[in-house]
Amino acid sequence: MTLKSVLECERRSLERMKKYQLPIQFRKIGFAILIISFISLFANRFSINNLELKTVAKYGMLVGLLLTSLSKEKIEDELVRNLRLQSYAFAFIVGVIITLTNPFFSYITDIFIKGEKVSWYGVGDWQILWLLLSIQVFYFEFLKSLHK
Amino acid sequence: MKNKLKIERAILDLTQDELAKKIGVSRQTINSIEKNRYIPSTVLALKLSTVFQKSVNDFFELNDED
Repeated sequence: MTLKSVLECERRSLERMKKYQLPIQFRKIGFAILIISFISLFANRFSINNLELKTVAKYGMLVGLLLTSLSKEKIEDELVRNLRLQSYAFAFIVGVIITLTNPFFSYITDIFIKGEKVSWYGVGDWQILWLLLSIQVFYFEFLKSLHK
Repeated sequence: MKNKLKIERAILDLTQDELAKKIGVSRQTINSIEKNRYIPSTVLALKLSTVFQKSVNDFFELNDED
């Protein structure tokens, strides 16, 4: 196998990955999982207080958002693909900026609201993933609404 | 980029939806192209050219900013 054919093979497999998306039905399934997980998390916070339920609900929200994010539109044409790419780029940049600046703002607000010096803490993995996915999903919907 | 999509569509007496179905895109895409909010790919431009039976240059035109 020559280097050229290896590169061509790589290029083709990457092209296939680019087109990989879930059918439109997964959008509703994802949204349903997101809502159920959110309600469970909300209920758990105020009454049940079960740690396992909290973990499952938190990851359920991520799975729901991921399914919504990966599912196709009714007509998946080049405009929609373009808006999708734009939303992923936006989510990545905004997500990174928020993740980087969040500890600083938490520190400042803790000093002013609680009136005490608290330790400098970062953002957890769940928060980062939730932030990236939710920004992408909502920004994509926003972009679509601009092209109606 | 300027375009005369709306005029060409009117000549053929097609609605946005009918044109969209002919070239396999959504109505929103046709609307966005007509309003200059979206520049289509070469593939889509050539599909439009087949429907209108005209060269791409006849309904797409570069302006000074391009």
